[in-house]
Amino acid sequence: MCRRLALVPTGPTAAPVGRPLNVIHEPEFMMTATHTADTHTSHGPKFPEPLPRIPLVWGPATYDSLSEQISEITEKGQPAWWWPAFLISASLLTGGIVAATYLISTGIGVWGSNNPVNWAFDITNFVFWIGIGHAGTLISAILFLFRQRWRTSINRFAEAMTIFAVICAGIYPGIHVGRFWYAWFMFPLPNANHIFQNFRSALLWDLFAVSTYFTISLIFWYIGLIPDLGTLRDRAKSRTRQLIFGFLSLGWRGSTRNWRHYEVAYLMLAGLSTPLVLSVHSVVSFDFATSLIPGWHTTIFPPYFVAGAIFGGFAMVLQCMIPARAVYKLDNVVTIKHIDVMCKFILATGTLVGYAYCMELFIAWFSGNPYEWQTFKDRAFTGDYVWAYWVMMTCNLFIPQVFWIRWCRQTPWFVLIVVTFVNVGMWYERFVIIVQSLHHDFLPGSWGQFYPSWVDWLQMIGDFGLFFTLTLLFIRCLPMIAIAEVKGVLPMANPHGHPVAEDKYLKGEDGQYPTEDHAMAAEYGAPAHASTEVKPSPTPVPAFIPTAGGNGTPWGAVAEFANGTLLLAAAKATVAAGYKHVDAWTPFYVHGMKEAIGRTRSRLPLFTLAGALTGLTAAVAMQFYLMAYYYPTIVGGKEYRSWEAFTPIFFEMTVLFAGFFTLFSLIGLCGLPRFFHPLDSHPTFNRSTQGGFFLTIEAKDAKFNPDTARAFMESLGGKHVAVVEA
Amino acid sequence: MPAIFSRSLDFYVRQLGVGLVVGVSLFSIGFYYYALPSYTRVGYTPEQPVPFSHQLHVGHLGMDCTYCHQAVFEGPHANVPASQTCMNCHNPKKANVKGTSPLLAPVRMSFETGSPVEWKRVHKLPEFAYFNHAVHVNKGVSCVSCHGQVNEMKVITHDQVLSMGWCLKCHNAPEKSLRPVSEVTNLTWARGKHEDDGTAIKKNLAVNPPMNCQSCHR
Repeated sequence: MCRRLALVPTGPTAAPVGRPLNVIHEPEFMMTATHTADTHTSHGPKFPEPLPRIPLVWGPATYDSLSEQISEITEKGQPAWWWPAFLISASLLTGGIVAATYLISTGIGVWGSNNPVNWAFDITNFVFWIGIGHAGTLISAILFLFRQRWRTSINRFAEAMTIFAVICAGIYPGIHVGRFWYAWFMFPLPNANHIFQNFRSALLWDLFAVSTYFTISLIFWYIGLIPDLGTLRDRAKSRTRQLIFGFLSLGWRGSTRNWRHYEVAYLMLAGLSTPLVLSVHSVVSFDFATSLIPGWHTTIFPPYFVAGAIFGGFAMVLQCMIPARAVYKLDNVVTIKHIDVMCKFILATGTLVGYAYCMELFIAWFSGNPYEWQTFKDRAFTGDYVWAYWVMMTCNLFIPQVFWIRWCRQTPWFVLIVVTFVNVGMWYERFVIIVQSLHHDFLPGSWGQFYPSWVDWLQMIGDFGLFFTLTLLFIRCLPMIAIAEVKGVLPMANPHGHPVAEDKYLKGEDGQYPTEDHAMAAEYGAPAHASTEVKPSPTPVPAFIPTAGGNGTPWGAVAEFANGTLLLAAAKATVAAGYKHVDAWTPFYVHGMKEAIGRTRSRLPLFTLAGALTGLTAAVAMQFYLMAYYYPTIVGGKEYRSWEAFTPIFFEMTVLFAGFFTLFSLIGLCGLPRFFHPLDSHPTFNRSTQGGFFLTIEAKDAKFNPDTARAFMESLGGKHVAVVEA
Repeated sequence: MPAIFSRSLDFYVRQLGVGLVVGVSLFSIGFYYYALPSYTRVGYTPEQPVPFSHQLHVGHLGMDCTYCHQAVFEGPHANVPASQTCMNCHNPKKANVKGTSPLLAPVRMSFETGSPVEWKRVHKLPEFAYFNHAVHVNKGVSCVSCHGQVNEMKVITHDQVLSMGWCLKCHNAPEKSLRPVSEVTNLTWARGKHEDDGTAIKKNLAVNPPMNCQSCHR
């Protein structure tokens, strides 16, 4: 028996009989003990049956219960701790605002940064916060590409954290230039001075990388939010909430014609964000690595920074998620296994970071460069900042090693303690790199100490205040778990799935739970079966539903179905009956539905490509024109047209434009915003974003006749059938 | 469930979108037209305490620039002349040109009391920009390049942009603006057809305009 606990694909299984060939079977990924070996080879050793899969959401959750569980957090009053927590965060934030105002009105001298340590708390905090953001993008983009579907429970929270962390970071480049009102000099805007930025400078790459990262993260987050904002709108009782979420959701109703673009847009953004997230912290590390300061000038920086960013980011996700999960009782969605897996990420990346620390130290000695070696000797053994170095080593390398132990990964309060150390350690890492390297460079004559001023401290604490204020507001106002995505990973959401009998749930062939994880998940109860009954309508559904300001002609016929499997069959039957203008409205994308309503793959990627090419062309034209012709500048002794140092901005602008084109083409192809729709008048149609499944035939269909369409939909088993006025 | 929004909202939202695009474009175009020195500075023509006409003195009478602005070939500043210079001709006790004109009263007053005429400054570079008149005129850059056809101005007006980008245009390609040093103060000079295009002057005078930041921002 070689049983391994692993997060691995089991690979595409043989297609079940009767599945249309054009449906690509998505390989299923779940957190469970699986065998990586091929189980159907006719030769070689025989392997036992794979273990039963642990579902991603534990317990008998349904579409409706999930919508309610997560939306309710924003609908009901907050628990008692929320206000004190918010007030504390907000007062810390106020301190930060005071510090920034004092800095801007007085001058940069109010900080402790001074020769030779000209970068200190400001850049330490900047790099710290930028790093925090990386976990969000890793979870939302990279794990999406790798089809790690457990990400759905945590991606919204992590993405929100990304955005808030980048906001916290973005403050520093703004205020540390001293003259805040000249911050626009960082952007390549035409001006009367006829000068532009140096596009070969790592600092400008940094600006492009961070602003692109923020923009793309925001787009990604917002696109992910749209279906859930629709859910909040449709659940809203008060007029204010209806208006707010009605506007924000752009009129999303879960049409499959929209879902087919949506899914592709999401994939495109995940594809764009993946190299982007790796580039951002690499570029941040170039701020140091392209200089000549001993301790900064190393090629290991980009991978080392990226690993550290993911490490610190996961720690911050857990830091915020574990309390939120306990307070709001989300442990059936964010399960112990999610915490377990995130701890494994922390362990892996922490060890990578530890490797980088050791390698830096080794290379400093092995290179034979006396400046490099004296800096590292000073850093690790003899200098003034040895304490900081060993705080960093302990928190980042040694303490996370406890995650080799299963208990440590699966005990939330213990994880919370460990990740606090990790967050502290990651702050110290940046402090050590920046302050220690600067205070002790080439000339003993220019060695010096750094003493933070009270403004430094207040600004730093204020940043934490900003972060937690935004996080608390986010928890209060928006769904902190991607409702639509989580619905899609429920066992009942698979229209081709075969539910397991309750008494055999998660048990092996021998009737026992094969691992402790199986037993733990089974305690929550078996997953619910998809409902086979349509939820009754609060008011009787008339055969013809008039709309406000309607013109008397029918818009089309609508019918409700109990679950995705029934709707899929009904949609296929409708298309087979010769109807062309068919649409299915579902709370999440039901696999195979776009083919069932007679649609194909979205053409949205062409727009993404067009955006990418536009961005690349713009970046090439801008940099070559400005640096080689408009104001020819020699940097680093290279010729005017040397292109190598332009590459980061080529990349960033390509991604930025591709992201914008994806967003706008998604909105355009879906016909959004569409605030009014005739279907809104149907008494149960607001369930299309919660737990209802609807089929529509539009009146513009040549075959449409109100009476026959209605009769046809009733014959398919549709309930609440009605014709809606246009 | 009744609809949340009215039927016409979608139309208005799209109109708003178009309006926003048009509005932002117009604002950007307007900003770049109205906010740059080409609009804010060019054409500045303040009324001076004495209606001194360069058109009369330079254009008609043919006085040289350096008669009044003597220091321009030697020092960084092209000085505004003292009342003493005016009084060489306008002193009622000597040459007595318009010696009793009421328009010249401030000059006479200044000459008697020693406190200068309060001329309104027209051309002003920012304090962080270092500019030296002498080096420019001694290398063949005419007054007219920066101050315009002063010989035709009744009242001095801000003729050129004088922004950093404007400076750099000439620093990038100086030969277009160079002329023999003897002709620097000749505001009506025009390059002859067969004359050198400035390249030889550039070479002879070793004109090598600096393009680095610290040459002007010291």
